[in-house]
Amino acid sequence: PRPDVHPLPPGSHLLYAQSGRIEHVPLKGHDLKKDDAKPLLHLPEKVIIGVAYDCVEKMVYWTEITSPSISKASIEGGEPTEIIQSDLGSPEGITIDHLGRTMFWTDSMKDRIEVASLDGSQRRVIINSDLVNPRAVIADPPNGNLYWADWNHAGTHKLECMHPARGDRRQVMEGIQYPFGMTSFGKNIYYTDWQRDAVVAVDRYTSKESDHFQPQKRTKLYGIATAYAQCPSGQNYCAVN
Amino acid sequence: DATRGTSGDCQPCPCPSGATCAVVLKTREVVCTNCPTGTTGKRCELCDDGFFGDPLGQSGPVRACRACKCSDNIDPNAVGNCNRETGECLKCIHNTDGFFCDRCKDGFYGNALATNPADKCKPCSCSPSGTVGRQSACSQVTGQCQCLPNVAERDCSACQPGFFNLQSGNGCERCNCNPIGSTN
Repeated sequence: PRPDVHPLPPGSHLLYAQSGRIEHVPLKGHDLKKDDAKPLLHLPEKVIIGVAYDCVEKMVYWTEITSPSISKASIEGGEPTEIIQSDLGSPEGITIDHLGRTMFWTDSMKDRIEVASLDGSQRRVIINSDLVNPRAVIADPPNGNLYWADWNHAGTHKLECMHPARGDRRQVMEGIQYPFGMTSFGKNIYYTDWQRDAVVAVDRYTSKESDHFQPQKRTKLYGIATAYAQCPSGQNYCAVN
Repeated sequence: DATRGTSGDCQPCPCPSGATCAVVLKTREVVCTNCPTGTTGKRCELCDDGFFGDPLGQSGPVRACRACKCSDNIDPNAVGNCNRETGECLKCIHNTDGFFCDRCKDGFYGNALATNPADKCKPCSCSPSGTVGRQSACSQVTGQCQCLPNVAERDCSACQPGFFNLQSGNGCERCNCNPIGSTN
Protein backbone atom coordinates (compact mmCIF):
# COMPACT_ATOMS: atom_id res chain seq x y z
CA PRO A 1 0.00 0.00 0.00
CA ARG A 2 1.16 3.49 -0.81
CA PRO A 3 0.89 6.22 1.76
CA ASP A 4 -0.43 8.99 -0.52
CA VAL A 5 -4.01 9.36 -1.71
CA HIS A 6 -5.06 6.36 -3.77
CA PRO A 7 -7.81 7.03 -6.29
CA LEU A 8 -10.97 5.07 -5.50
CA PRO A 9 -12.20 2.68 -8.19
CA PRO A 10 -15.73 3.32 -9.55
CA GLY A 11 -18.72 2.12 -7.54
CA SER A 12 -19.84 2.70 -3.97
CA HIS A 13 -17.54 2.14 -1.02
CA LEU A 14 -17.44 2.28 2.73
CA LEU A 15 -14.69 4.54 4.06
CA TYR A 16 -13.45 4.00 7.61
CA ALA A 17 -10.64 5.42 9.74
CA GLN A 18 -8.10 3.21 11.46
CA SER A 19 -4.70 4.09 12.91
CA GLY A 20 -3.95 7.24 10.91
CA ARG A 21 -5.43 5.83 7.73
CA ILE A 22 -8.65 6.07 5.81
CA GLU A 23 -9.35 2.71 4.23
CA HIS A 24 -12.08 1.70 1.84
CA VAL A 25 -13.96 -1.49 1.25
CA PRO A 26 -16.01 -1.70 -1.97
CA LEU A 27 -19.74 -2.42 -1.83
CA LYS A 28 -21.22 -4.80 -4.36
CA GLY A 29 -24.93 -4.41 -3.95
CA HIS A 30 -25.12 -4.59 -0.20
CA ASP A 31 -22.21 -7.01 0.14
CA LEU A 32 -18.83 -6.00 1.44
CA LYS A 33 -16.05 -6.98 -0.94
CA LYS A 34 -13.77 -7.75 1.97
CA ASP A 35 -10.81 -8.97 -0.07
CA ASP A 36 -10.64 -5.66 -1.91
CA ALA A 37 -10.24 -3.44 1.15
CA LYS A 38 -7.39 -0.98 0.57
CA PRO A 39 -6.03 2.25 2.02
CA LEU A 40 -7.29 5.47 0.47
CA LEU A 41 -4.96 7.72 2.39
CA HIS A 42 -2.32 7.35 5.08
CA LEU A 43 -1.32 10.14 7.45
CA PRO A 44 1.04 8.21 9.71
CA GLU A 45 1.46 10.92 12.34
CA LYS A 46 -2.23 11.72 12.73
CA VAL A 47 -5.09 10.20 14.66
CA ILE A 48 -8.02 10.37 12.25
CA ILE A 49 -11.41 10.15 13.97
CA GLY A 50 -14.40 11.15 11.85
CA VAL A 51 -14.84 10.55 8.12
CA ALA A 52 -17.41 12.08 5.77
CA TYR A 53 -17.94 12.09 2.04
CA ASP A 54 -19.16 14.75 -0.35
CA CYS A 55 -20.71 12.97 -3.32
CA VAL A 56 -20.90 16.18 -5.38
CA GLU A 57 -17.21 17.07 -5.50
CA LYS A 58 -16.08 13.52 -4.67
CA MET A 59 -14.11 14.64 -1.65
CA VAL A 60 -13.39 12.82 1.59
CA TYR A 61 -13.43 14.93 4.77
CA TRP A 62 -11.94 13.95 8.10
CA THR A 63 -11.32 15.17 11.65
CA GLU A 64 -7.98 14.69 13.38
CA ILE A 65 -7.10 15.11 17.07
CA THR A 66 -3.30 15.28 17.44
CA SER A 67 -3.21 18.86 16.12
CA PRO A 68 -6.98 19.27 16.07
CA SER A 69 -8.12 20.00 12.52
CA ILE A 70 -10.59 19.26 9.75
CA SER A 71 -9.21 18.40 6.30
CA LYS A 72 -10.32 17.17 2.91
CA ALA A 73 -8.87 15.44 -0.15
CA SER A 74 -10.21 14.32 -3.51
CA ILE A 75 -10.88 10.59 -3.71
CA GLU A 76 -9.58 10.77 -7.26
CA GLY A 77 -6.14 11.46 -5.81
CA GLY A 78 -4.56 14.66 -4.62
CA GLU A 79 -3.13 16.54 -1.71
CA PRO A 80 -4.94 16.72 1.60
CA THR A 81 -5.96 20.31 2.44
CA GLU A 82 -6.64 21.61 5.93
CA ILE A 83 -9.89 23.55 6.15
CA ILE A 84 -10.18 24.36 9.86
CA GLN A 85 -7.38 24.43 12.45
CA SER A 86 -8.46 26.99 15.03
CA ASP A 87 -10.69 26.78 18.08
CA LEU A 88 -11.06 23.00 18.04
CA GLY A 89 -10.70 20.77 21.12
CA SER A 90 -11.44 17.22 20.04
CA PRO A 91 -13.26 17.29 16.69
CA GLU A 92 -14.78 13.85 16.25
CA GLY A 93 -17.90 13.11 14.20
CA ILE A 94 -18.29 14.90 10.87
CA THR A 95 -21.01 14.82 8.23
CA ILE A 96 -21.69 16.58 4.93
CA ASP A 97 -24.97 18.06 3.76
CA HIS A 98 -24.27 17.67 0.06
CA LEU A 99 -27.36 19.67 -0.91
CA GLY A 100 -26.80 22.57 1.49
CA ARG A 101 -23.01 22.48 0.85
CA THR A 102 -22.24 22.54 4.54
CA MET A 103 -20.43 20.33 7.04
CA PHE A 104 -21.38 19.63 10.65
CA TRP A 105 -19.02 18.32 13.32
CA THR A 106 -19.03 17.44 17.01
CA ASP A 107 -16.34 18.51 19.47
CA SER A 108 -16.21 16.39 22.62
CA MET A 109 -13.88 18.72 24.53
CA LYS A 110 -15.66 21.96 23.79
CA ASP A 111 -18.95 20.05 24.05
CA ARG A 112 -20.56 21.60 21.03
CA ILE A 113 -21.79 20.96 17.51
CA GLU A 114 -20.74 23.35 14.77
CA VAL A 115 -21.54 24.00 11.14
CA ALA A 116 -19.55 25.68 8.36
CA SER A 117 -19.48 25.91 4.59
CA LEU A 118 -17.35 23.26 2.91
CA ASP A 119 -14.46 25.73 2.60
CA GLY A 120 -14.55 26.44 6.34
CA SER A 121 -16.18 29.86 6.04
CA GLN A 122 -19.44 30.91 7.72
CA ARG A 123 -18.61 28.81 10.74
CA ARG A 124 -20.99 28.91 13.69
CA VAL A 125 -21.91 26.92 16.79
CA ILE A 126 -25.37 25.40 16.58
CA ILE A 127 -25.45 23.51 19.90
CA ASN A 128 -23.41 24.22 23.02
CA SER A 129 -25.56 23.00 25.88
CA ASP A 130 -26.42 19.62 27.39
CA LEU A 131 -23.73 17.72 25.52
CA VAL A 132 -21.53 15.25 27.39
CA ASN A 133 -19.44 13.43 24.82
CA PRO A 134 -20.99 14.02 21.40
CA ARG A 135 -19.44 11.99 18.62
CA ALA A 136 -21.31 10.44 15.69
CA VAL A 137 -23.31 12.98 13.67
CA ILE A 138 -25.36 12.43 10.52
CA ALA A 139 -27.05 14.97 8.26
CA ASP A 140 -30.27 14.10 6.49
CA PRO A 141 -30.06 16.58 3.58
CA PRO A 142 -33.50 16.16 1.97
CA ASN A 143 -35.27 16.72 5.31
CA GLY A 144 -32.71 19.03 6.83
CA ASN A 145 -32.48 17.09 10.10
CA LEU A 146 -29.28 16.55 12.00
CA TYR A 147 -28.87 13.44 14.17
CA TRP A 148 -26.14 12.92 16.75
CA ALA A 149 -25.20 10.44 19.44
CA ASP A 150 -24.06 11.49 22.89
CA TRP A 151 -22.76 9.08 25.47
CA ASN A 152 -20.50 8.67 28.43
CA HIS A 153 -19.34 5.83 30.57
CA ALA A 154 -21.38 7.02 33.53
CA GLY A 155 -24.71 6.70 31.82
CA THR A 156 -25.63 9.16 29.08
CA HIS A 157 -26.42 7.14 25.94
CA LYS A 158 -28.63 9.30 23.80
CA LEU A 159 -29.48 9.77 20.18
CA GLU A 160 -30.77 13.27 19.54
CA CYS A 161 -32.10 15.15 16.56
CA MET A 162 -32.62 18.75 15.53
CA HIS A 163 -33.66 20.71 12.49
CA PRO A 164 -31.00 23.47 12.59
CA ALA A 165 -33.29 26.06 11.04
CA ARG A 166 -36.16 25.28 13.44
CA GLY A 167 -34.04 24.60 16.53
CA ASP A 168 -36.49 21.88 17.64
CA ARG A 169 -34.00 19.69 19.48
CA ARG A 170 -35.42 16.39 20.70
CA GLN A 171 -34.35 12.98 21.94
CA VAL A 172 -34.81 10.14 19.45
CA MET A 173 -33.59 7.21 21.49
CA GLU A 174 -32.02 6.47 24.85
CA GLY A 175 -29.95 3.48 25.94
CA ILE A 176 -27.85 3.09 22.80
CA GLN A 177 -24.61 1.13 23.23
CA TYR A 178 -21.20 2.15 21.91
CA PRO A 179 -21.09 1.96 18.16
CA PHE A 180 -18.28 4.38 17.34
CA GLY A 181 -19.22 5.58 13.86
CA MET A 182 -22.27 4.87 11.74
CA THR A 183 -23.46 5.25 8.14
CA SER A 184 -26.35 3.98 6.03
CA PHE A 185 -26.50 2.57 2.52
CA GLY A 186 -29.74 1.24 1.06
CA LYS A 187 -31.28 -1.26 3.43
CA ASN A 188 -28.19 -1.52 5.62
CA ILE A 189 -26.72 0.43 8.49
CA TYR A 190 -22.97 -0.04 8.89
CA TYR A 191 -21.22 0.77 12.15
CA THR A 192 -17.72 0.45 13.56
CA ASP A 193 -17.64 -1.77 16.62
CA TRP A 194 -15.07 -1.24 19.37
CA GLN A 195 -15.61 -4.65 20.91
CA ARG A 196 -14.71 -6.57 17.78
CA ASP A 197 -12.59 -4.00 15.86
CA ALA A 198 -14.92 -4.62 12.94
CA VAL A 199 -17.33 -3.00 10.50
CA VAL A 200 -20.75 -4.50 11.22
CA ALA A 201 -23.65 -4.53 8.73
CA VAL A 202 -27.17 -4.45 10.13
CA ASP A 203 -30.31 -4.83 8.02
CA ARG A 204 -32.41 -1.90 9.08
CA TYR A 205 -35.72 -3.61 8.32
CA THR A 206 -35.05 -6.86 10.18
CA SER A 207 -32.77 -5.14 12.75
CA LYS A 208 -30.46 -8.12 12.42
CA GLU A 209 -26.73 -8.21 11.86
CA SER A 210 -26.17 -9.40 8.29
CA ASP A 211 -22.39 -9.35 7.95
CA HIS A 212 -19.20 -8.10 9.53
CA PHE A 213 -15.71 -7.32 8.33
CA GLN A 214 -12.50 -7.34 10.38
CA PRO A 215 -9.60 -5.56 8.68
CA GLN A 216 -6.25 -7.31 8.76
CA LYS A 217 -4.91 -4.83 11.27
CA ARG A 218 -6.60 -5.38 14.63
CA THR A 219 -6.93 -1.93 16.11
CA LYS A 220 -9.86 0.31 16.81
CA LEU A 221 -11.97 1.49 13.90
CA TYR A 222 -13.17 5.09 14.15
CA GLY A 223 -15.47 7.00 11.82
CA ILE A 224 -17.21 5.43 8.85
CA ALA A 225 -18.91 6.97 5.80
CA THR A 226 -20.49 5.80 2.58
CA ALA A 227 -18.84 7.03 -0.61
CA TYR A 228 -21.76 6.84 -3.03
CA ALA A 229 -21.08 6.24 -6.71
CA GLN A 230 -23.83 8.81 -7.30
CA CYS A 231 -25.41 11.29 -4.95
CA PRO A 232 -28.65 10.03 -3.41
CA SER A 233 -31.54 11.90 -5.00
CA GLY A 234 -33.21 14.62 -2.99
CA GLN A 235 -34.00 18.28 -2.99
CA ASN A 236 -32.51 20.83 -0.67
CA TYR A 237 -35.13 21.58 1.96
CA CYS A 238 -34.16 25.26 1.69
CA ALA A 239 -35.03 25.29 -2.02
CA VAL A 240 -38.68 24.73 -1.14
CA ASN A 241 -39.00 28.08 0.60
CA ASP B 1 13.35 1.76 -6.93
CA ALA B 2 13.61 -1.67 -8.46
CA THR B 3 13.90 -0.37 -12.02
CA ARG B 4 17.39 1.10 -11.92
CA GLY B 5 19.09 -2.26 -12.21
CA THR B 6 21.69 -1.82 -9.48
CA SER B 7 22.33 -4.02 -6.49
CA GLY B 8 21.16 -1.18 -4.21
CA ASP B 9 17.74 -0.83 -5.83
CA CYS B 10 15.88 -2.51 -3.01
CA GLN B 11 16.75 -1.63 0.55
CA PRO B 12 15.38 -3.02 3.76
CA CYS B 13 12.45 -1.09 5.25
CA PRO B 14 13.63 1.28 8.01
CA CYS B 15 10.85 -0.10 10.20
CA PRO B 16 10.63 -2.43 13.19
CA SER B 17 10.64 -6.09 12.24
CA GLY B 18 7.46 -7.29 10.64
CA ALA B 19 6.44 -3.87 9.33
CA THR B 20 6.21 -3.22 5.61
CA CYS B 21 7.02 0.10 3.96
CA ALA B 22 6.35 2.15 0.86
CA VAL B 23 7.83 5.14 -0.90
CA VAL B 24 5.69 8.25 -1.27
CA LEU B 25 5.83 8.94 -5.00
CA LYS B 26 5.97 12.70 -4.81
CA THR B 27 8.42 13.18 -1.96
CA ARG B 28 10.46 9.94 -2.24
CA GLU B 29 9.94 9.56 1.48
CA VAL B 30 9.85 6.07 2.97
CA VAL B 31 6.87 5.36 5.24
CA CYS B 32 6.19 2.24 7.29
CA THR B 33 2.77 0.88 6.44
CA ASN B 34 2.16 -1.90 8.92
CA CYS B 35 3.56 -0.92 12.29
CA PRO B 36 3.49 -3.35 15.24
CA THR B 37 0.37 -3.25 17.43
CA GLY B 38 0.06 -0.08 19.46
CA THR B 39 2.51 1.89 17.30
CA THR B 40 2.15 4.17 14.31
CA GLY B 41 3.98 6.97 12.49
CA LYS B 42 6.32 7.10 9.51
CA ARG B 43 8.86 4.96 11.34
CA CYS B 44 6.51 3.40 13.88
CA GLU B 45 7.94 5.95 16.30
CA LEU B 46 4.58 7.02 17.77
CA CYS B 47 1.99 5.35 19.96
CA ASP B 48 -1.55 4.74 18.75
CA ASP B 49 -4.50 6.61 20.18
CA GLY B 50 -5.12 5.42 23.73
CA PHE B 51 -1.45 4.56 24.32
CA PHE B 52 1.64 6.48 25.37
CA GLY B 53 5.38 5.97 25.24
CA ASP B 54 8.44 6.50 23.07
CA PRO B 55 8.82 3.18 21.23
CA LEU B 56 12.03 4.17 19.42
CA GLY B 57 13.50 6.21 22.27
CA GLN B 58 13.57 9.42 20.26
CA SER B 59 13.58 11.69 23.29
CA GLY B 60 15.24 9.52 25.94
CA PRO B 61 15.16 5.86 26.89
CA VAL B 62 12.90 3.51 24.94
CA ARG B 63 9.45 3.32 26.49
CA ALA B 64 7.14 0.78 24.90
CA CYS B 65 3.62 1.99 24.17
CA ARG B 66 1.31 1.36 27.11
CA ALA B 67 -2.37 2.08 27.61
CA CYS B 68 -3.15 5.53 29.09
CA LYS B 69 -2.83 5.45 32.91
CA CYS B 70 -5.55 7.72 34.20
CA SER B 71 -6.63 6.24 37.54
CA ASP B 72 -9.76 4.67 36.03
CA ASN B 73 -11.03 8.21 35.54
CA ILE B 74 -11.31 8.19 31.74
CA ASP B 75 -14.00 6.83 29.49
CA PRO B 76 -12.60 3.74 27.76
CA ASN B 77 -14.66 4.64 24.73
CA ALA B 78 -13.34 8.18 24.39
CA VAL B 79 -10.60 9.15 21.94
CA GLY B 80 -7.49 11.16 22.74
CA ASN B 81 -7.54 10.13 26.40
CA CYS B 82 -3.85 10.87 26.96
CA ASN B 83 -0.87 12.56 25.30
CA ARG B 84 0.66 9.85 23.12
CA GLU B 85 4.20 10.63 24.29
CA THR B 86 4.04 11.87 27.88
CA GLY B 87 0.90 10.03 28.95
CA GLU B 88 -0.64 13.19 30.41
CA CYS B 89 -4.35 12.50 30.80
CA LEU B 90 -6.46 14.83 28.67
CA LYS B 91 -10.04 13.68 29.22
CA CYS B 92 -10.56 13.07 32.91
CA ILE B 93 -14.12 12.26 33.97
CA HIS B 94 -15.92 11.94 37.35
CA ASN B 95 -14.91 15.57 38.13
CA THR B 96 -11.24 14.62 38.36
CA ASP B 97 -8.20 16.45 37.02
CA GLY B 98 -4.41 16.27 37.07
CA PHE B 99 -1.72 14.51 35.06
CA PHE B 100 -3.14 11.11 35.97
CA CYS B 101 -6.73 12.22 36.72
CA ASP B 102 -5.64 11.58 40.29
CA ARG B 103 -7.09 14.61 42.05
CA CYS B 104 -10.43 16.38 42.17
CA LYS B 105 -10.88 19.29 39.82
CA ASP B 106 -11.30 22.79 41.24
CA GLY B 107 -14.60 23.21 43.01
CA PHE B 108 -14.76 19.52 43.98
CA TYR B 109 -13.40 17.49 46.89
CA GLY B 110 -13.02 13.86 47.91
CA ASN B 111 -10.87 10.92 46.89
CA ALA B 112 -10.32 10.83 43.12
CA LEU B 113 -8.97 7.29 43.51
CA ALA B 114 -12.01 5.80 45.24
CA THR B 115 -13.34 2.74 43.41
CA ASN B 116 -16.98 3.76 43.45
CA PRO B 117 -17.63 6.82 41.24
CA ALA B 118 -20.17 8.09 43.78
CA ASP B 119 -17.37 8.25 46.38
CA LYS B 120 -14.98 10.15 44.14
CA CYS B 121 -15.25 13.92 43.79
CA LYS B 122 -18.20 15.86 45.18
CA PRO B 123 -18.96 19.53 44.51
CA CYS B 124 -17.70 21.94 47.19
CA SER B 125 -20.96 23.90 46.97
CA CYS B 126 -19.49 26.64 49.18
CA SER B 127 -22.17 29.03 50.38
CA PRO B 128 -21.34 32.28 48.52
CA SER B 129 -22.33 34.62 51.33
CA GLY B 130 -20.26 32.76 53.94
CA THR B 131 -17.13 32.16 51.86
CA VAL B 132 -14.08 34.40 51.45
CA GLY B 133 -14.24 36.13 48.08
CA ARG B 134 -17.35 34.05 47.20
CA GLN B 135 -14.91 31.46 45.86
CA SER B 136 -16.14 28.06 44.73
CA ALA B 137 -13.01 26.03 45.59
CA CYS B 138 -12.51 24.10 48.83
CA SER B 139 -9.92 21.83 50.48
CA GLN B 140 -9.31 18.88 48.13
CA VAL B 141 -9.38 16.41 50.99
CA THR B 142 -11.79 17.66 53.66
CA GLY B 143 -14.00 19.80 51.44
CA GLN B 144 -13.71 22.68 53.89
CA CYS B 145 -14.55 25.98 52.22
CA GLN B 146 -12.66 29.08 53.34
CA CYS B 147 -15.17 30.71 55.68
CA LEU B 148 -15.51 34.40 56.56
CA PRO B 149 -15.06 35.37 60.25
CA ASN B 150 -17.41 33.62 62.67
CA VAL B 151 -18.91 31.45 59.92
CA ALA B 152 -19.19 27.68 60.50
CA GLU B 153 -19.84 24.42 58.65
CA ARG B 154 -17.88 22.75 55.84
CA ASP B 155 -19.68 24.79 53.23
CA CYS B 156 -19.69 28.05 55.30
CA SER B 157 -23.46 28.00 55.32
CA ALA B 158 -24.12 28.95 58.97
CA CYS B 159 -23.00 31.36 61.65
CA GLN B 160 -21.13 30.09 64.71
CA PRO B 161 -23.30 29.89 67.85
CA GLY B 162 -23.83 33.38 69.21
CA PHE B 163 -23.46 35.06 65.82
CA PHE B 164 -25.93 36.19 63.12
CA ASN B 165 -26.33 37.91 59.73
CA LEU B 166 -24.62 35.46 57.37
CA GLN B 167 -26.16 37.27 54.41
CA SER B 168 -24.06 40.39 55.01
CA GLY B 169 -21.24 38.78 53.00
CA ASN B 170 -18.72 40.08 55.55
CA GLY B 171 -18.95 37.26 58.05
CA CYS B 172 -21.30 36.91 61.00
CA GLU B 173 -21.86 39.50 63.73
CA ARG B 174 -22.02 38.88 67.44
CA CYS B 175 -25.60 38.65 68.73
CA ASN B 176 -24.73 40.75 71.81
CA CYS B 177 -27.76 39.39 73.67
CA ASN B 178 -28.00 40.41 77.27
CA PRO B 179 -27.23 37.23 79.25
CA ILE B 180 -29.77 38.15 81.87
CA GLY B 181 -32.73 38.37 79.50
CA SER B 182 -31.78 35.52 77.14
CA THR B 183 -32.79 31.85 77.45
CA ASN B 184 -29.41 30.55 76.32
